[in-house]
Amino acid sequence: MVESVGIPTVTLSVVRSMTEATPAPRNVFLRFRLGQVLGEPGAVAQQQAVLRSALGAIETIGQTGGVVELPYRWRREVYPPPVGVSA
Amino acid sequence: MPRWWNRLQSKVYARAWWLSERYGRRAGSFDDIPLPPLAPLRRPLREARVAIVTAGGVHLSEQAPFDMTDPEGDGSYRVVPLGTPPSALRITHDYYDHAAADRDINCVFPLDRLGELARAGEIGEAGPRHVGMMGHLSGAALGLLVDRSAGAIAALFQQDAVDLVLAVPG
Repeated sequence: MVESVGIPTVTLSVVRSMTEATPAPRNVFLRFRLGQVLGEPGAVAQQQAVLRSALGAIETIGQTGGVVELPYRWRREVYPPPVGVSA
Repeated sequence: MPRWWNRLQSKVYARAWWLSERYGRRAGSFDDIPLPPLAPLRRPLREARVAIVTAGGVHLSEQAPFDMTDPEGDGSYRVVPLGTPPSALRITHDYYDHAAADRDINCVFPLDRLGELARAGEIGEAGPRHVGMMGHLSGAALGLLVDRSAGAIAALFQQDAVDLVLAVPG
């Protein structure tokens, strides 16, 4: 609906079958938990990495219904240090 | 179903991804609703105004909570202004385990993270208004979302000259 009025959207998902059954215009899938789609509580670097990658998908998904899978492996990952955090 | 049963189920789904995959397959498909063509991003990401829609049942503490008594869910939405402190937000949603997001709302509504990416110059800015709604809708509640709420949310983002919307499930 938002896409139809000319505003591009990116939709995160952690349930692959849901994305396949009801795809959004641009889909970003990752193997995280329901309720912790961006990452763990207080994990600023992890959450920023997911957010950055999700927004970045706007530049890589070229076809409606397209899916990008993010490679992040929950805690088994070295995330870039946080940016923009006020002291 | 009593609310305790829905909450218990949500805890099981959070820990057993294969069950949520099965749930997703049973949820059916919207094949009859064609996807719209992709709208282009009008300016580079580093200049774009970005807004968030979460289906995680997020709302201001002072706003009416989502209706958990209707088994079809609640197809209405709540507007969350930029700058709302996490302490002024609440989650009302019995159909996913939000214990983690209760501790850090950014798990399902990354408004703080969006502000940080803006400060770092990776996006232009966070939009002035963001939206909380519920997933897990069916019947009349889903109809309300599709027929009323979705259009109102789209109009709100148009008024705010939002360039890009991120949708996050619960």
